[in-house]
Amino acid sequence: MNAADDSQSGDGLERALDRALQRNLLAPALPSGFRQRLQAAMIRRVEHNQATLSAALEREHEAQLAELRHDYVRLRQRTLGTLIGVAFAAGLLINFALPWISAHFGQNGVFALPAIGVAVGLALSVRVWWRRSSLARLLS
Amino acid sequence: MQQSVRADGGPPDQDIVELLRGGAVETAFERLVSRYEHKVYRLCCSILRDPDEAQDAAQESLLRVWKALPKYDQRASLSTWIYTITRNRCLTAIERRRIQESLADPAVELEVESGQANAPQRDEDQGAILRELVEELPDRYRKALTLYYYEERAYYEERAVGEVAQMLGVPEGTVKTNLQRARALLLERIRTLGLADPAQWLEKLA
Repeated sequence: MNAADDSQSGDGLERALDRALQRNLLAPALPSGFRQRLQAAMIRRVEHNQATLSAALEREHEAQLAELRHDYVRLRQRTLGTLIGVAFAAGLLINFALPWISAHFGQNGVFALPAIGVAVGLALSVRVWWRRSSLARLLS
Repeated sequence: MQQSVRADGGPPDQDIVELLRGGAVETAFERLVSRYEHKVYRLCCSILRDPDEAQDAAQESLLRVWKALPKYDQRASLSTWIYTITRNRCLTAIERRRIQESLADPAVELEVESGQANAPQRDEDQGAILRELVEELPDRYRKALTLYYYEERAYYEERAVGEVAQMLGVPEGTVKTNLQRARALLLERIRTLGLADPAQWLEKLA
């Protein structure tokens, strides 16, 4: 066999190999239900994302609530402190005011203080009532 | 089979890109899946060599494409982008497999290997012998060869080479070289099978 025959037989072998590979190397078929599984996975992913988003929103909401609660407790503490302070200040004031009133206005003078309190209370009530009624008129 | 070039000869996947520009992401993805699901699966099969793993990897790759599709910036062609995502996903699967294998009990591994050694060495199906020879080729030759013959059915020769190059992320010249070497190596191994007439044996397979 000469070189040309070798080359020809080599070419023939290559062509035979090419045809054999074409015949035997078959592309794997896509598994049945591939698309459905993909869509299901997409839906799961969306649901997962929604669940993650929902959990994040819930966490944020809880953090806001905790902050509000904290502020509320601080406000209550401040209010309580103010009330106690005012009560002490009032007690101190009365302690000094009563002897002074008795000395200047006599024994009945002590009734002047509650009377002034009542007058001031009534004045405030009337003022509030007046403003509310004015507001009501404006609104109507 | 659907191909990535439009019937009017326009740029590949231009229709999908236009849909994306118009904000129709879901429609674009549907079209992309019907065009690429087979190719993505075949690429996964070629790299992973396990149909179940390939299916998982293909699904995961398409899920990643779906998630990233609104951010696709057209720096690479759509097909290159999809194949890159797929290859990366396959590499992750291979890495995971390596870790699992390294964690596996050596005693169990030995048992499995000895079981395989007792299996019949020669399959009566002649085509299976050829496929086995292909499987034994070095990885880069095997991937080029299998993908080339998978794709050749859909395209003519030159385009099949181009498509395989895109799928594997290598230049076309590399694919051609790997194909030549793969065929040469296969012929060499066929000759060592001790067949009376290798050409006739191959003709029977064709």
